[in-house]
Amino acid sequence: MMFILLEFMSDQKVTEKLVEQILVMFFSGMIATHLFREFIRKSNWLMLPVEKAFPKFLLGIIIVCLVAGLVRVGIINYLELTNTKKKWDFSTRLLFATLENGLFVIPWTLIYYFYHYIDKSRKQQLDTLKLEALVKELELKTIKSHINPHFIFNSLNSIRALIDENPERARTAITELSNILRSSMQTEKQETVTFEKELNIVKDYLALEHIRFEDRLRVEYQIDDNTLNQPIPPMMLQTLVENAIKHGISKQVHGGTVKIVSDFKDNYHEMVIRNTGRLNGSRNEDGFGLVSTRNRLQLLFGQNANFDIRELNGNMVEATVLIPRVDSY
Amino acid sequence: MITPQNLLHMIKAVIIDDERLARNELKKLLQDFPEIEVVAEAANANEGIEKIDTLNPDLIFLDIQMPGKTGFDMLAELDKAPDVIFTTAYDDYALKAFEVNALDYLLKPVEPKRLADAIHKLQMEEGKDREAISEDEIPVNRSLLHEHDQVFVKDGERCWFVKLSDIRLFESVGNYAKVYFGTNKPLILKSLNALEERLDEKVFFRANRKHIVNLRLIEKIEPYFNGGLLIELKGGEKIEVSRRQTVKFKEMMSL
Repeated sequence: MMFILLEFMSDQKVTEKLVEQILVMFFSGMIATHLFREFIRKSNWLMLPVEKAFPKFLLGIIIVCLVAGLVRVGIINYLELTNTKKKWDFSTRLLFATLENGLFVIPWTLIYYFYHYIDKSRKQQLDTLKLEALVKELELKTIKSHINPHFIFNSLNSIRALIDENPERARTAITELSNILRSSMQTEKQETVTFEKELNIVKDYLALEHIRFEDRLRVEYQIDDNTLNQPIPPMMLQTLVENAIKHGISKQVHGGTVKIVSDFKDNYHEMVIRNTGRLNGSRNEDGFGLVSTRNRLQLLFGQNANFDIRELNGNMVEATVLIPRVDSY
Repeated sequence: MITPQNLLHMIKAVIIDDERLARNELKKLLQDFPEIEVVAEAANANEGIEKIDTLNPDLIFLDIQMPGKTGFDMLAELDKAPDVIFTTAYDDYALKAFEVNALDYLLKPVEPKRLADAIHKLQMEEGKDREAISEDEIPVNRSLLHEHDQVFVKDGERCWFVKLSDIRLFESVGNYAKVYFGTNKPLILKSLNALEERLDEKVFFRANRKHIVNLRLIEKIEPYFNGGLLIELKGGEKIEVSRRQTVKFKEMMSL
């Protein structure tokens, strides 16, 4: 434009040549930027980080301006649209044309780039959110469905032995095992269950473990009946009791006690699992049960829940879960 | 019917498992194998060691996860390991150990067919061993380890059953002994002196303060300065024989 105006500045009458020249400029500019756009898309420049994209775009802009300038000067020469009074040589006119094209091409590129940049980052954010939600869902699922295969096969083995020794007990044992398996499958669909339901599973579980360990396992319950309909994450108590057996009782030559306590403490529903045994430092801390319990509480209640495990006077381990009390239930 | 013929091939077995019902179940399954006689049961590793020491069984059925010590720990404490069939419920850790070392194991609840296979395999190997050891070779002194005896070696997560005849060198490392066989050299918690007492001196020779070598696995012998000898073993290890032991070594070799 500058170039055209400059050319026509000294000219008194604005001829139709001016209009034609502007048309040529737009035409060449359009073609050049379209080709540039195709090229950007094909070579995926928009995916590049800013610092890598910048030199490429700069070079691209220079080439586009130059090419557009060439086309324009060529067409103008061919159609003899130049101002006849001022005879500038070819290279000067090309330089002017190129610089002038830059005035359009640079803002065009910037807008194009930033529009896509913003669009891209918004999509990225959305994807991240979607991914996070998926991970959370998957985490909950795997944590919930986790039932120790070692336990299942050991139970089946003891039940097989019981079939001869005590068929009646073998029958109830199969019912207990079915209950546990069923609930571990059903819980995949639920975020919470009532404490009562969970406690029944734990009772079945401990009854089965009692078949295995016989008098090496002693169980005590201390349950406040008012806590029975509190909602809790499914299979969480179960995981902790399983841990108590696996890391506690099964390691004691003479066995030990598992005690389950449930009551209200201030505005919290408190569940305590106490078992004979020792907390063997890092190995227990990293165990699947504890990590999954922490993660689940974090995912479901954020900062409003608490999980703690510690050793009491030498040969007792106490795990405590605190979750917000729900009164509407 | 028990005839002297099959009495000879009776296999004395001990079942070691912390669960009474699991032991009962296995005993029941073993009733189908008259050649196997369950001579004792043990509910933990310590009881197991006691029973093995007093009864000297040919075979043990061993649970891995037991209170106190695991089955692997128990085996590592034995001077010589009887044949072992491991029994375990699903257990990632143990299964990995089995795969690496191709040990025989049964998954609980035990499938009768698998049990039969395991016992059959054992009998085949027993037969081969019996052929290999001629009568007069069988040591009179039971506390002495024969070169056909196997030991269980456990080093961290890895474990092996090794025939003594495959071990070429014991090397003292503090309170431990490094055991050289194949390409492995795990550590065992045993002093060289204790080992020397149990090993057959016709096969295992104390070359110096720190080494016991297997005489059958010597590649070559060279004179060494100071009147000593330098032994090169099949694995390429070079062991110096102390001056005092050289005298003894020459005496033995000249016999």
